[in-house]
Amino acid sequence: MKTYKQPNTVGRFGEFGGMYVSETLMPLLLKLDKSYKKIQKDKKFKKELNELFKNYVGRPSSLHYAKNLSKYINGPKVYFKRDELNHTGAHKINNCLGQILLAKKMGKRRIIAETGAGQHGVATATVCALFGLPCYIYMGSKDIERQKPNVFRMKLLGATIIPVESGSKSLKDAMNEALRDWIKNVRDTFYIIGSTAGPHPYPKMVRDFQSVIGKEAREQILKVEKKLPDYLIACVGGGSNAMGLFYPFLNDKKVKIIGVEAAGRGAKTEETAATMTSGTPGILHGSYSYVLQDNDGQIKEAHSISAGLDYPGVGPEHSYLKDIKRVEYFGITDKEALEAFQTCSKLEGIIPALEPSHALAYLIKAFKNKHKNKVVILNMCGRGDKDLFTAAKAIGFDADE
Amino acid sequence: MNNLDSLPKKKILSLFMTCGFPTLNQSKKIFNEILSHQPDIIEFGLPFSDPMADGPIIQEANKLALRSKLSTQQSLNLIKELSKSKNNTSFVIMCYLNTVRKFGLNKFIKNIKSIVDGIIIVDLPFEEEGEIKKSLSENNIHLIKLISPMTDKKRSQKLLEGSKGFIYYISATGITGSNKLDYLDINKNVHSIKKMSSVPVLVGFGIKSKKDVINISRKTKADGVIIGSALIQKYFDLKMDFNKYLKNLKKFIMEVKI
Repeated sequence: MKTYKQPNTVGRFGEFGGMYVSETLMPLLLKLDKSYKKIQKDKKFKKELNELFKNYVGRPSSLHYAKNLSKYINGPKVYFKRDELNHTGAHKINNCLGQILLAKKMGKRRIIAETGAGQHGVATATVCALFGLPCYIYMGSKDIERQKPNVFRMKLLGATIIPVESGSKSLKDAMNEALRDWIKNVRDTFYIIGSTAGPHPYPKMVRDFQSVIGKEAREQILKVEKKLPDYLIACVGGGSNAMGLFYPFLNDKKVKIIGVEAAGRGAKTEETAATMTSGTPGILHGSYSYVLQDNDGQIKEAHSISAGLDYPGVGPEHSYLKDIKRVEYFGITDKEALEAFQTCSKLEGIIPALEPSHALAYLIKAFKNKHKNKVVILNMCGRGDKDLFTAAKAIGFDADE
Repeated sequence: MNNLDSLPKKKILSLFMTCGFPTLNQSKKIFNEILSHQPDIIEFGLPFSDPMADGPIIQEANKLALRSKLSTQQSLNLIKELSKSKNNTSFVIMCYLNTVRKFGLNKFIKNIKSIVDGIIIVDLPFEEEGEIKKSLSENNIHLIKLISPMTDKKRSQKLLEGSKGFIYYISATGITGSNKLDYLDINKNVHSIKKMSSVPVLVGFGIKSKKDVINISRKTKADGVIIGSALIQKYFDLKMDFNKYLKNLKKFIMEVKI
């Protein structure tokens, strides 16, 4: 059996990935790649990161047997990898700590980031506060509106939020603006990308930092079940929580892996964010991957109730894993996700973020009365506090009462 | 014949304009006006939904052009139509890679062969250019190289190998339409590029006025300038009054032709 070894030295996952940026950024990306390679071998860096994981984030995150949900589904035994218990409430902090340590090593003095749901923005603002670096967060004005609690969090943490009014006023446009900022301030600025998207080395680097999720889950499940899981399920927007869980299992051919995309109002409608179900290969934000685009290669606006999945692209490694059929991808609509959001809250006493609610919805839908005696790990990558207003509005509950 | 091979020795003027801006019909008028001044080079920007290397002005121009669902084919047809009166002016396309990829490289080349002299693909770095460069060169279309202040000597050397047409020197670490021009720094870098290559070096990004053009000519060893955002900016300054804009454009081009 061939061991999985992606990307190659120039950041290709099969034909996907690469570095498609202007010459102003190229030298910097090459340098970033070099610095990243160097710190991977640096024991001090590893030690520092592990200590932060343990004492600042609260890792390892637990693996919770969701007994009530399992009973409700009447199928497999469902485990939640509880990365929503992390400090800041989502998996995003894992990557931010890795990248800010790298930024420090590279002598950068200013941090920028893009954010959709605000989880990556909060995580970035958090690590910037911890390390005393100025932090600028690009956020679409539409997302600022629907993720108010996170906006306030970022401000409390000392970050400057720059509203983005261009395009669809969401994650894609925030990333465009962050890239523009980077081109302008290339000498002193480090761009902490929050997903496995963007030009090389980001997709690899973010995956590596997030793979702590899968490594822990692997150990934990072997301990409790004495075997590997039969299925892994995670939601995919840009794809960082999913890659984090999937990556350490890619060589275990018996483990079936499922990525769940946000289909918005339906994967066949224009209002979707299901990039791999409805898109075609193209170039967005410096990498070649599946994107939602028209016949002329103009990028379409995505739609999802979940701001974190509202992105017309996807990380190049997911495109590769789809094409080699190692991972299967499915779409879940806003409505289905909202139902699962409520079901999980009631049954397990865990209010999930709208992002993993998509993964939950797929699990409930596809595993109902099926796959008994099987074991599933679902990545509970974020908690739902940030979504309370959005969900209340969508469900028709008056939160002001 | 490739017009870029017979550019003048000094004071080369290249004017950038987005295709289909603000509408396709008005765009034709704008390009006719530009062409009537016979600048050395016209750069035709193909609008893209996510022009991440461009500043707010060109971004806005792209948005306006795409408002009416302008297709790549329509832009290429516009260029073709204008080429009838191109004379010695070099035609260069400036675009993002996804536009070319989605249209199909071969079909793209077929559409611009013997019409367009060069192409700048903003997000296609030297590392990824292989097949595209080969196909272009077989059809006598030059792939124009960008060099930024971040590009070090070793990288410039690799990048400039076999370079044709002209070299686009990005005058500031910034996006198109940025502010500061540091002539000392520009001169130093242009000088170092010229030691490595005999192809003309044009300075772009941040050139806004006759004064800037004269300064580049006097204070640096650059062979010419590229003006883009400043040309488009006037449209917004004049509150999108198209007739006023067209007159103003004429005046501006006459000014910067030094």
